[in-house]
Amino acid sequence: MANTQWVAASAFVEWRDIPGSSVSVTRRDDLTMANLGVFEGQSDKVLEVIRSAYGIDLPRTPKIVTARGTSFLWYGPNQWLAVAAREQNRDLELELEPLFSGVASIVDQTDARAVVEISGHRARDVLAKGVPIDLHPSAFKTGDVAITHASHIGIVICQMDDNPTYQISMFRSFADSFAEWLFHSCEEFSN
Amino acid sequence: MRIQCPCCGERSLDEFTYYGDASVTRPNAFAPTAMSDYHAYVYQRDNRDGDHRELWYHAAGCHACLVVTRNVRSHIISDVRIAREVARERDAAALPGSTS
Ligand SMILES: [Zn+2]
Repeated sequence: MANTQWVAASAFVEWRDIPGSSVSVTRRDDLTMANLGVFEGQSDKVLEVIRSAYGIDLPRTPKIVTARGTSFLWYGPNQWLAVAAREQNRDLELELEPLFSGVASIVDQTDARAVVEISGHRARDVLAKGVPIDLHPSAFKTGDVAITHASHIGIVICQMDDNPTYQISMFRSFADSFAEWLFHSCEEFSN
Repeated sequence: MRIQCPCCGERSLDEFTYYGDASVTRPNAFAPTAMSDYHAYVYQRDNRDGDHRELWYHAAGCHACLVVTRNVRSHIISDVRIAREVARERDAAALPGSTS
């Protein structure tokens, strides 16, 4: 038998690209994700494990930190979402599980969440039409994370760089509903 | 109305769900007075003027349950705390041998 490379179908089915240069949208179907949930009273140990394995401190406030090709997003009190590109068949659940035996639960989120990136100098204006939090650079900066909603769909939003680029994830089954709102919101900035 | 979530920062009301009066404590279901205790716990409210302590759930955010102190005349929120911490302090204070 020949080696078969399975590729998961995108959660965004009704997808289209936005013409023009003021805003661009990209599906991130290439990510592996896992939720890290700390067991009662074990948060110091979890922080220590991450410190020795990745050389970073997990953020205690809504932020994202990245080390060794893996990002950790604050995901609520004592919870984080680990995200990495799925190159070389990486699987974050398998990578993290052995590190946290007895101190935290690791649950695969790769197929649970759909991820999209919105970038460009009008990205903020696109999002302002549905995201209720203040994304002005004085209030929300590169590295900041927020759990909120967009057009009534629960999202986790994270600013990745100063372009700005925003990475947004939602439950997979909401992907096309979110995209429909996103395309409408982008309409006035496309050409 | 906007609530200052201790985890997420200030967010608008549509991210929260009201969970009721934060000043009542679930009674012991096995006490001889359980029937009247539960009647008071579920139904009897004072509806006073001024500050109320209310439970609000950050449903579209961090999923923390909060104890919000809100003045029902002015809507001014004077305090927001994570409900779990409030409950733990209450339970610790209720332990035998506790001075408070
Ligand atoms: Zn919150």
